[in-house]
Amino acid sequence: MHLQLRSIAKRFGAILAVDGVDLDVDGGEVLALLGENGAGKSTLMKLLYGVHRPDAGQVTIDGRATRIDSPRDAMASGIGMVFQQFSVIPALTVRENLALAHASTPWFTGRGARRATAGLAPLAAIAPDVPMDARVSSLSVGQMQLVELAKALQQDPRLLILDEPTAVLGDDEVRRLWSLIRGFATRGLAVVLITHKLADVAACADRVAVMRRGRVVASGAARDFDATRLLRTMVGERDLAAPSTAPLPADAPTRVWIRGLSARGPGSRIDGVDLRIARGEVLGIAGVSGHGQDVLADACAGVLSPDAGEVIVDGETLFAPRQRAPRAGRVAYIPEQPIRNAVAPDLPLALNLHLDRLHTLPAIPDRRRMEADARALLTRFDVRPADPTMAAGRLSGGNLQKLVAARELCGAPALVVASHPTMGLDLAASAFLYHQLFALAQAGSAVLWISEDLDDLLHHAHRIAVLHRGRIAGVVPADQRHRQTIGAWMTGHADAEAA
Amino acid sequence: MTTFDIVLGSFLVSALRSATPLVFVLVGETLVQRTGSINLGVEGQMLVGAMAGYGAAALWGDPWLGLVAGAVAGMLLSSVHGLLTLAARANQFASGLAVWMLGFGLSAYYGAGLVGRKIEGFGTWRGAGPDSVPVLGPIVAGMTPTVLLALVVAPAVAWWFWRTRTGLVWRAVGESPEAARAAGLRPIRVRLQAILLGGLLSGLGGAALSVDHTRTWAEGMTAGRGLVAVGLVIVARWNPWWVLPTALLFGGAEALALRLQTADAGVSAHLLLTLPYITSLAVLTLTCLRDRGQAAPAGLRAVMDR
Repeated sequence: MHLQLRSIAKRFGAILAVDGVDLDVDGGEVLALLGENGAGKSTLMKLLYGVHRPDAGQVTIDGRATRIDSPRDAMASGIGMVFQQFSVIPALTVRENLALAHASTPWFTGRGARRATAGLAPLAAIAPDVPMDARVSSLSVGQMQLVELAKALQQDPRLLILDEPTAVLGDDEVRRLWSLIRGFATRGLAVVLITHKLADVAACADRVAVMRRGRVVASGAARDFDATRLLRTMVGERDLAAPSTAPLPADAPTRVWIRGLSARGPGSRIDGVDLRIARGEVLGIAGVSGHGQDVLADACAGVLSPDAGEVIVDGETLFAPRQRAPRAGRVAYIPEQPIRNAVAPDLPLALNLHLDRLHTLPAIPDRRRMEADARALLTRFDVRPADPTMAAGRLSGGNLQKLVAARELCGAPALVVASHPTMGLDLAASAFLYHQLFALAQAGSAVLWISEDLDDLLHHAHRIAVLHRGRIAGVVPADQRHRQTIGAWMTGHADAEAA
Repeated sequence: MTTFDIVLGSFLVSALRSATPLVFVLVGETLVQRTGSINLGVEGQMLVGAMAGYGAAALWGDPWLGLVAGAVAGMLLSSVHGLLTLAARANQFASGLAVWMLGFGLSAYYGAGLVGRKIEGFGTWRGAGPDSVPVLGPIVAGMTPTVLLALVVAPAVAWWFWRTRTGLVWRAVGESPEAARAAGLRPIRVRLQAILLGGLLSGLGGAALSVDHTRTWAEGMTAGRGLVAVGLVIVARWNPWWVLPTALLFGGAEALALRLQTADAGVSAHLLLTLPYITSLAVLTLTCLRDRGQAAPAGLRAVMDR
């Protein structure tokens, strides 16, 4: 298959998301589409898959002009897509999800679609270990993505688009995906891999195309782009200094005491978590996902009422059972999935930046002043576009994350709870966010930082606590020498420390 | 056969007969909500169905034609709601209320000449002999075609919904229209189909009420049953399998209220007539307290959250 895009453009309101893009993709090759958050990569591919319709431009497949108005049309033209926000339906089982889209699913599917077997072959081929009759909501993120991939493969596409597939995966899963992608190319498929990880490019790309502000600014064979050149093309001539934390003085006083905290959330719980965070300390929380990280974050930020225990900040109990002090100004919280948990998508950015202190606004808020404040903050945190009147739901995933960071990190909080704060952020934005986070620590905040990226934790945190089955398995200084210990705690081998 | 058997049997019969119109409406609204929208117009669709059904039965003398006419009338009215919400993207609650009022007005206007007219209803199987069987005898004897139809329709729809491909597509649309669209399905079309089928079933329910259950036509005779159905969908946990028991709960409360009224229980009749509604409200509260709306299809929850 040969796909040709010519002068594709798409405007959302005042924003030109895709600005006259030309791009070619051939069968048997992997094209890595790179760019910063909001550069227009996802939008371009959604145009190709018929999720949005382009305002201008021409799509040509194998020399024939093709009009793609809906995902249905895209499928008919042999295009399959794996979305960043998955399109599998959590309430249905794996089997039902796969039966849904497959042409040869019989009319009578039986209970839980057990009689629908035709569409299962791709999943069996790429991941025989995924339970077919489990609800998708009970799967791990990695498994969900494999189901999503199998669903796209069912249609026997000639062009496969993957939107940041490695963003949410662990190391092993990423390696498995890379070899799958190489396999697809060997079989003659054209693959477009949207990513901002340089490792993805090195592992499986034949060609690269770099987007910036809606345009393709560079493209060529992957071997002609080394890491430095890629970075430079992606971010322009901005400085990319590595962030770092200041060493912690030995006598730093305790600022936050999480005392015997127990709480229950949907799906997981924490049980008697006891942690002290010193003034200026960055405490990393490591652990396999689903072991209570989300509950710990919610409980420490006062979003979830604990069953027992308390969160003591500067000697004062802020959160305890049936007690919830307002957190504004004292506890900053960057939750997981900001679009669902931390913004009002239909409200403008200016209001979203004031969401946590609405009650401190005057009765008739001065809109112009709010927008001026917001504009300064948006520029400082590089939210694009920095338009305070735009609805938050319009922002790309990475820019939403920056928006929440801007709101939460702009003051001088006593405690910062950051849950996967750089998820979905590109390199420059991650570096910037770490800078902000660590600058707060240096100014005296206590930082509770939850991450699945052990390398990042070891590199930046002062100490690392490991959460296993809702309990603290242990706490060690962040040092490469403790890597084995941490790994053992994460998998539940509590005694490995002695070995 | 003891008196108790007769009393219990006949109570169950009247519960079943009270529940019958509601079963149709509830099945329809369950499907509508399962595909991710809410149609408040069911009350109006029921009224139109009841009026058209009664009119057709009076005109042609055939209660079966009455049921068909009622179903068609309900579907026609629901197409107004479907076009308003899906083609014109009107707010579904505003559109639902408008359709309700439209149905009320239309049925009152065209039904004015029907008030007081007599119709030929369905016969029952009384005298066929099963009277001697305890409890079950009176039940079988009291069956009418619409009761039997309701007893068949609810499980048939449930089976279709959970075991067939189209049922799977409908469930997917209700859970996530975006994901369904990405999978190459057409969510708008599915929603329209569900709204039309819901309209057909609520019209049929209305006709079952006027042609078979009460055998009269009066303005606004559905007395809020359509709106109750919208709420009872929650009690049925958006599951067609639960429709029958849920409708029986309402029907049972209504039958009990009538019994108490004839037994002269010393309570005001007006108060007694609120019994089914109070029961529904109580069960609704209990259901919601227990599962906090988590049984709802995700697409519907998104609508509510907005």
